[in-house]
Amino acid sequence: MRLSHAVIAIVAALALALPALGSSYQIYLAELVLINIVAAIGLNLLTGNCGQISLCHASLMAIGAYTTALLTTRLSITYAVALPAGVAVTTLLGASLGYPARRLSGLYLALVTLGFLEVVSIAIEEFPDVTGGVRGLSLAKPDLVGWPLKAGALYYFVLAVTALSIRVGVSLQRSRYGRAFNAVRQSVIVAQALAIPPGRIKLLAFSIAAAFAGLAGGLFTAVVGFIDPTEFDISASLRQITFIAVGGLGSVLGSIIGATVLTLLPEALRGVKEYSDVVYGAILLGALVLTPKGIVGVLAMSFGRGDGKARLP
Amino acid sequence: MTWRIALQLALSGLSVGSIYAIVALSLAIPFKASRILNFAQGELVALGAYIGLVLTSYGLPYAAMVPATLVIAAVFGVLLERAFIRPIVGAPEFTLVIATFAIGLIIRALIRIHWQDNTFFLPAPYAGPALAVGPLRVNPAYLVIIGSTAVLVGLLVLFFRRTRLGKAMRAVSFNQTAARLMGISVGTVFGSAWALSAAIGALAGLLLAPVIGINPEIGHLIVKALIAAVIGGFGSLGGAVFGGLLLGLLETYSGALFGAAFKEIVPFGILIAFLLARPQGLWGATQVRV
Repeated sequence: MRLSHAVIAIVAALALALPALGSSYQIYLAELVLINIVAAIGLNLLTGNCGQISLCHASLMAIGAYTTALLTTRLSITYAVALPAGVAVTTLLGASLGYPARRLSGLYLALVTLGFLEVVSIAIEEFPDVTGGVRGLSLAKPDLVGWPLKAGALYYFVLAVTALSIRVGVSLQRSRYGRAFNAVRQSVIVAQALAIPPGRIKLLAFSIAAAFAGLAGGLFTAVVGFIDPTEFDISASLRQITFIAVGGLGSVLGSIIGATVLTLLPEALRGVKEYSDVVYGAILLGALVLTPKGIVGVLAMSFGRGDGKARLP
Repeated sequence: MTWRIALQLALSGLSVGSIYAIVALSLAIPFKASRILNFAQGELVALGAYIGLVLTSYGLPYAAMVPATLVIAAVFGVLLERAFIRPIVGAPEFTLVIATFAIGLIIRALIRIHWQDNTFFLPAPYAGPALAVGPLRVNPAYLVIIGSTAVLVGLLVLFFRRTRLGKAMRAVSFNQTAARLMGISVGTVFGSAWALSAAIGALAGLLLAPVIGINPEIGHLIVKALIAAVIGGFGSLGGAVFGGLLLGLLETYSGALFGAAFKEIVPFGILIAFLLARPQGLWGATQVRV
């Protein structure tokens, strides 16, 4: 464990020192990485731990983003209130999706979540007076009760929220609920025999995933300052699935690694920007076929006990 | 709504529904054989239209372009199955769903890199001004779409009832192990199912192109085809056709009666209702949950 503590310390020090060292573009990239980590942790709890396919994680992020954006821009409510409000609305909508979806699995769940994705994008596009429609929505600068979040402050705010999300994600995974998620994924019948109600656990997983997505969406509005429906389409959902499939399903560390590597990768491949969907698709396909446990699985094999059982969070 | 408008709407609803039905059929065939739902099928429809576009630009006449496109699409379907689907055929459903999505994403991105978001038109010999049939005004392209669907369904019925390969496909779908024991090559059946499905998808693309033009977003059609397949029941070929036609009619009538926004929402209302009340669809086999 000493090695991992050292790694955490170095990463934390780098993250804290970034505003002093990096350019404003690098800070912006780091903020995107952090937001994607938050979204990926939520999706990984639902898909990796609880075993439920979701193709609409990006729409839940959209709901959080639009709620926060509309509250701050149109009603001039402080970001400190709008962000939690966005999370609350997204959680409620996620739960209302999870309620009918809790009886379905596999293919049928994929279809329901795909339908939800379509309905959300239709809703955004059909009410341009409220949402800005396909032309998008520009946003007011975020402020915490009169204290404007300038570049550096915003970065530390996003960093703090992400650190908190990681902590919550790890705790959730180690809690009885996290273990119940894993039980439901592995066998619904065994879960039931252990007095775990699969329906309620799935509903909980959907709500938690939605809360993380809503939080990520709310942070996204503050960082980017402009949102439009194409940010939250099916490719965005697939990118988030790529984060967790590449990083490692059912692992918070996997979400962090996957989101970091795959957010920075298109930057490393700058100049081939139009190929980014091709690269993402190819990486996703490769990860699914070649490394079912993702990067974390490979790491656990090399540093762990050698039996491939990931002991990482 | 007079009966004349009602009939006019029925015609356009049936032609839209026919396209949904064709794509739903192309989804159902590999699903029947291997229990894999190909979420990249929409991109195969788009690809068919683009292949047609390329062949036409090389000066191939329409009558030669259509069969050539179908053959190229079928070969592409076989390659796709061999390269990506066969290695993961026994994988968990999550892997299968996401892998086919990833294939679709790659195809769509490649199309977009080469042709951008431009809309192209595919010239078709039957395209022309609306015909007057009795009191109705009929777009000839609609008639071709409905007619082709009818012919396709007829050919598929013959194929599955009469030919060796068709019977082999039914046997594999019924019981893979028993089929293998009877000397049927399951791999060949999977490959043929994907070839057939890709060719049928390409046909949908060719039929659609003269009506709405070709652009990378054609692939979005798959959502409607999936809903059609849910209505009919996955793996039921008759159900796919019925579901497609029903969805086309419902969409057209609800759009005419209640406006465009309602038309967009109706299919998803139907999807949710079916998945909650009758997930196996109208004709799908009930699955025993284990």
